[in-house]
Amino acid sequence: MTGGGQENRGDAQELEKAPTRIDGDPEERVLRELVDRFPGSASSIARVRPGLVRARIKREDLHDSCRLLRDALGFEHMSMISAVDYPDRFEVVYHISSYQNNITLELISQTPKDDPTIDSVSDIWGGANWQEREAYDLMGITFKDHPKLERILMLKDTLYHPLRKDFRG
Amino acid sequence: MTRTAEMWINMGPQHPMTHGLWNLRVKVDGETIVDAEPEVGYLHRGIEKICENRTYPQVIPITDRLCYGSSMSWSHLYCRTIEDLMGLEVPERAQYIRVVVLEMQRIASHLMWLAAYAVDLGMMAGFIYGMRDREVFIDLLQNLSGSRLTYNYTRIGGVAHDLPPNWDREALRACDYMEQRLREYEDLYEGSKIFMMRNTGVGLLKRDDAMNLGVTGPPMRASGAKYDLRKDRPYEAYADMDFQVCSRTEGDCFARYRVRMDEMWESCRIIRQAIHKMPKGKWRVVAPRNAPAGTGMARVEDPRGEGMMYAVGDGTDRPYRLKIRSPIFVTVSAAPKFLVGYKVADVVAIMGGLDMCIGENDR
Repeated sequence: MTGGGQENRGDAQELEKAPTRIDGDPEERVLRELVDRFPGSASSIARVRPGLVRARIKREDLHDSCRLLRDALGFEHMSMISAVDYPDRFEVVYHISSYQNNITLELISQTPKDDPTIDSVSDIWGGANWQEREAYDLMGITFKDHPKLERILMLKDTLYHPLRKDFRG
Repeated sequence: MTRTAEMWINMGPQHPMTHGLWNLRVKVDGETIVDAEPEVGYLHRGIEKICENRTYPQVIPITDRLCYGSSMSWSHLYCRTIEDLMGLEVPERAQYIRVVVLEMQRIASHLMWLAAYAVDLGMMAGFIYGMRDREVFIDLLQNLSGSRLTYNYTRIGGVAHDLPPNWDREALRACDYMEQRLREYEDLYEGSKIFMMRNTGVGLLKRDDAMNLGVTGPPMRASGAKYDLRKDRPYEAYADMDFQVCSRTEGDCFARYRVRMDEMWESCRIIRQAIHKMPKGKWRVVAPRNAPAGTGMARVEDPRGEGMMYAVGDGTDRPYRLKIRSPIFVTVSAAPKFLVGYKVADVVAIMGGLDMCIGENDR
């Protein structure tokens, strides 16, 4: 009624390049593409259960592989980004979903303890923006080229990252 | 368009629009919104950190507190995640009981949204009606579990106890009652000229934007994406249920309202079927005290969207890490896309139509 929203029109052109559904076995195809395109980087390939596949990727290739996943393999939705603090490394776990192929990919990337930086994927999926901010806020992972990497749940002047295992309140 | 000096306005943290503590900063040019930025975190309780210091069963009541409006779906999601981590198979009767209580929780949650939405848009009668009928389902869940909002009913490996005597009959009666009332609501809401004027054509969101921005649940389905995890990746006993995925193509606030109303109709159907098909038998298996080293993930259709948890076990009796994905946290991050181009007066309708819940948003 108020006639707004004109600015919302026509800014999703880039997404329309996304292909239609994968025929045959999408799980097999996704894992094979990852191994073919990133040899030596993609590892620990596994089919966990129907609809869920898992792969590890080196952090240098994370951004390229995510772009491949969205543009060529139909993953439209970044479901969840979790950061985990293991004794010897940080792991950033991306759960990426495809509506058209009805599968979820658990893509795991790891960073060393002394350099917790990784490429941001928020230019690929808008939904990753706040989840990366949350991972930065609570776990202290720095996402390179993030548009606004600021604290989101904690106060702006907090000095610590509370979900780290060495944090003692 | 005439341009005037732009300025930022804080709507919140204390504002009738917010339904909880959060702040929406909008940049306005006259009456038109040119930019928006939600600020959250006022209710951050560190639930993920608390969970790392509790044993697996002790976490269940904490996950109830993620959202008091739909606590059953959160404790159920947690139990599913840990069942995945431990490799447990839930008995068939427990799966059907879970479907019944989850759908009741969905109706109660949607009714609370509907009541709050009515008040946002200036219909006090709708608020009173919605809250009254929500009590029907809350009473049933209270009969079942003993508490009114935070049920603590699902367990790792099943549910806490069997249904009380005659509970199934009361549940069927509640569905009959609810369907009568839903017709009344549709007349009441859609017959209100003000409600329709403030809803139709406001807060447009396109399907591709919704997917890319991570918007899930009723807002995404109202934008034309027909995807419901209960149908497309069934869990518990949903594969046996006959129901429709409710979806609309308009993508505005009215479509979101309509999707939620249709979902309540479908929930009544699911409750009836689940009660009729419910087998006899065990309702719980004993879960081990310790979880193996490994990870577990579960993904369910929460009333607000896609709820997800990721648990890391390390062989002890406490989770090493529990990550909670709140659907509304991601949905509200898309707020600028909903808001830009509309007027300040539309903010209440647009943000109210998302069903904001701060408890699960801030964790």
